[in-house]
Amino acid sequence: MSPVSREPTADPTRLTADVLIVGSGAGGAPTAAILAEAGFDVIVLEEGPLVRQGDVTPFSLEQMDRQYRAGGVTAAIGLPSIAYTEGCCAGGGTEVNSGLYRRPPEEVLDRWRRDRGLVDFDSDELYRICDEVEQVLSVQTVPGDQTAASEALRRGAATLGWRHDEIPRWMDYASGSDARSGRRRSMTETYLPQAEAAGARVLTGYRVDRLVLDRGRAFRAEATTSDGRAATVDFGHVVVCGGAIQTPALLQRSGLRRHIGRSLAVHPTVKLAARFDEPVNVADDVAVHQVKEFAPDLSFGGSASSPGLVALSLSDQWDRFGPAILDWEHLSVYYAAITSEGRGRVLALPGLRDPLVTYRLTRRDKDLLGRGLARLALLMLEAGATEVYPSYRGAPVVRRPADLATMQATFGVSRASLMTVHLCSTVPCGEDERSATDSFGLVRGTQNVRVNDASLLPDAPGVNPQASVMALAIRNARRFVETVKP
Amino acid sequence: MPALLLSAFVPPGSIADFADHLVVHDLPGLPDDRRAETVAFAGRRIAHLPSPMKVGVTAVAALVAILGKVVGGARLAALLARHPVPLFGEYVRLVRSLIYAYVWDTWPHTDPTGRPLGGDGGDERP
Repeated sequence: MSPVSREPTADPTRLTADVLIVGSGAGGAPTAAILAEAGFDVIVLEEGPLVRQGDVTPFSLEQMDRQYRAGGVTAAIGLPSIAYTEGCCAGGGTEVNSGLYRRPPEEVLDRWRRDRGLVDFDSDELYRICDEVEQVLSVQTVPGDQTAASEALRRGAATLGWRHDEIPRWMDYASGSDARSGRRRSMTETYLPQAEAAGARVLTGYRVDRLVLDRGRAFRAEATTSDGRAATVDFGHVVVCGGAIQTPALLQRSGLRRHIGRSLAVHPTVKLAARFDEPVNVADDVAVHQVKEFAPDLSFGGSASSPGLVALSLSDQWDRFGPAILDWEHLSVYYAAITSEGRGRVLALPGLRDPLVTYRLTRRDKDLLGRGLARLALLMLEAGATEVYPSYRGAPVVRRPADLATMQATFGVSRASLMTVHLCSTVPCGEDERSATDSFGLVRGTQNVRVNDASLLPDAPGVNPQASVMALAIRNARRFVETVKP
Repeated sequence: MPALLLSAFVPPGSIADFADHLVVHDLPGLPDDRRAETVAFAGRRIAHLPSPMKVGVTAVAALVAILGKVVGGARLAALLARHPVPLFGEYVRLVRSLIYAYVWDTWPHTDPTGRPLGGDGGDERP
């Protein structure tokens, strides 16, 4: 594995490149590899630091400090607000997420093609790209035993006769066959070294403040290094891959606003903690089973469950739930995620460094979250949970199916702790009037500003979105190579 | 800049004071040294909030600080902890979430009142 560059060889504050790529996650890393291999002089600027796998415990507070934006304390403001997280490190979200992989469903690709008039958006081509990605990232199911928390999901779904499966992960299990022995094939392990081997420079600790444009053509990026120095990059083309929050914010700061940042889509989730007779807690990993009986509206899965996160999930009703923390090794946290009809906004405000993020749930979303939480509680009881602790103020302890009626009667979405990790669609691609870019990510009204990350997805895919993001990014990068010469 | 301007009207240490009162209310058994460490953690995280959130939190913190002068900081923290009201409730939830996550991530063998369990309290991550 080649190291990610920390500093360029020349003056680190005056840089030039054929192509500047802003961001090094699931969109930026493969884009960099493809363009560098095609002969372009590529610079990747990443705002966060390089943190090697194994240097921090996954899902720990230390990881949040070092690899998440704002220590993981970020929220889309609304009634209620929805907490979300963004990776801010070399490799972006791929370094910190659960590593679960789902191809975009055919019906989702059909919908995107139809609703947005996407051209050359061929499902077979995208699935061929998925084949390649799966090879590079070593996508596979766990070769041995599941964790107890994951097995509980499978058991509950099987008892109820609900559709469920194990989600493959991009993991290398060379060192063992158990679920916890995997090493994630994140971007710092795959596409970023590939890009560097082809000559790309990957620089960490550079925040791009704005792009400078002249008559629709961007030619310079103004940036600030992590030690406070001003830096510039002069380029021929720029590809913005900062994720669904930072990408629209950067474009807006650069004066590009048309249809940008107005259609944030997420998968909102509600959570509960379930207590079992046997130990189920795995502090540094997540369950790999998902229950899809009610998909695409609803899906159920396992969340990170370090003792701190278990305590957090109990904290809305601490007087009633708090004593359970004594038994945290027997507790695990689970989620119900919905495909939301609501939308949010990302708005760069003058004088503020970070964008304002908002999200508005629809009435249907709120109802669905309540129903989802009740079904998740039932699933856990059927899995053998002795007690279930839903994460909302005023929640009862659920011990038997009869308690679910009380739970549904007391649930209110404004009392719940909502969160999400799948953010997308803030710079949607397509050929229709609502789209911010063309079918390949070129921002409308510009000649050389492209977007190539989760922002492009026309809406939330209803599944873990990384495969969709990577398939689209690789397709678009190849199109760039075909149409632009180094 | 707006956060900076607002912070000029917030009494220094008011967020830390509120977090301290909330820890005392929620986790009365937490030893003083751990309480100080937890409050410092919450303060650090709040200091690094994205700027729009920071503006909002700073504004609410200013109101809480002013109200605290009138009714007493500890009393106000207890009141807000027990009776979530709009806006203030989100502030309490934010600070509380940081407190609980930190305490049990750092010292997993802690009872629900914050008191260390057994010997030296098992202050190692699992």
